[in-house]
Amino acid sequence: MFKTRTWLIIITAIIMISGILTFTISSSRLKSQNVQIIQDGKVIETIDLSKVTRAYTFTIKCESGYNTISVEPGRICVIDADCRDHICMQQGWLSDQATPIVCMPHGLIIQLSDASQTDALTQ
Amino acid sequence: MVKRLTTDALLLAIALVMFVFEAQLPPIVPVPGVKLGLANIITVYAFFVLTPQDAFLILVCRIFLGSVFSGQLMTFFFSFAGGMLCFLSLLCIKPALTSDQIWVASVISAIFHNIGQIIMAIIIFSSPAMMAYLPVLIFSGTIAGLLTGLSAQVIINRLNHKKTNL
Repeated sequence: MFKTRTWLIIITAIIMISGILTFTISSSRLKSQNVQIIQDGKVIETIDLSKVTRAYTFTIKCESGYNTISVEPGRICVIDADCRDHICMQQGWLSDQATPIVCMPHGLIIQLSDASQTDALTQ
Repeated sequence: MVKRLTTDALLLAIALVMFVFEAQLPPIVPVPGVKLGLANIITVYAFFVLTPQDAFLILVCRIFLGSVFSGQLMTFFFSFAGGMLCFLSLLCIKPALTSDQIWVASVISAIFHNIGQIIMAIIIFSSPAMMAYLPVLIFSGTIAGLLTGLSAQVIINRLNHKKTNL
């Protein structure tokens, strides 16, 4: 049996720690340029962003719709999709080392392919 | 028996309305999985005013029907994983609380809901990188859980004169 004050301290601590971790992760820089596009757990496309010389777009279709992905030298994002929430589009360019771009309804993620992506979590 | 069935059905209907209403709101931040979790008010209410069994039935039915209404299979998997961990955490935290600390249970269950979702995301996408979303989801989940928990606490205090099972 804890006092209410104890619970408040615990909850405040959780908010602060998770807030600091969120900030640390989102401010980490891209260290590599190898990007994987995964749909339903399978890698369907691998792109080395440092070797991209001209900007291009392509569309990935799935049972429930499509995602149009824009690739430019050194960066990648989702520019169009017919999913319900459009969170994948609003996430913008893949910008930090750890956090992948996700389109939940279509089971699609765009992430860096090398193992060092978990570094941001452990540092 | 009939009274119990009616109460559960009514609570399920309220929870479903909240769930569907919330799904229509535009996302506040572009992070997948961040949401208010209004239906958690009902889960917490049923858990402490009725019995954990009632809460479990309402939770499972709400997740199933809510996914049917939203028309997305993904919603079901994520809600189910979150809902189960959320319920387990409520069972674990129950002995440590008094009837004035019901809001704490909501915060804890919201955090575990998000952990469940992340575990499901790692399995579905087979990508450990989804772990990177855990801190931001725990951050938003704690705040959302605090809001829904305080709502549940106020409702319980006003409607039941603190007749909880604690």
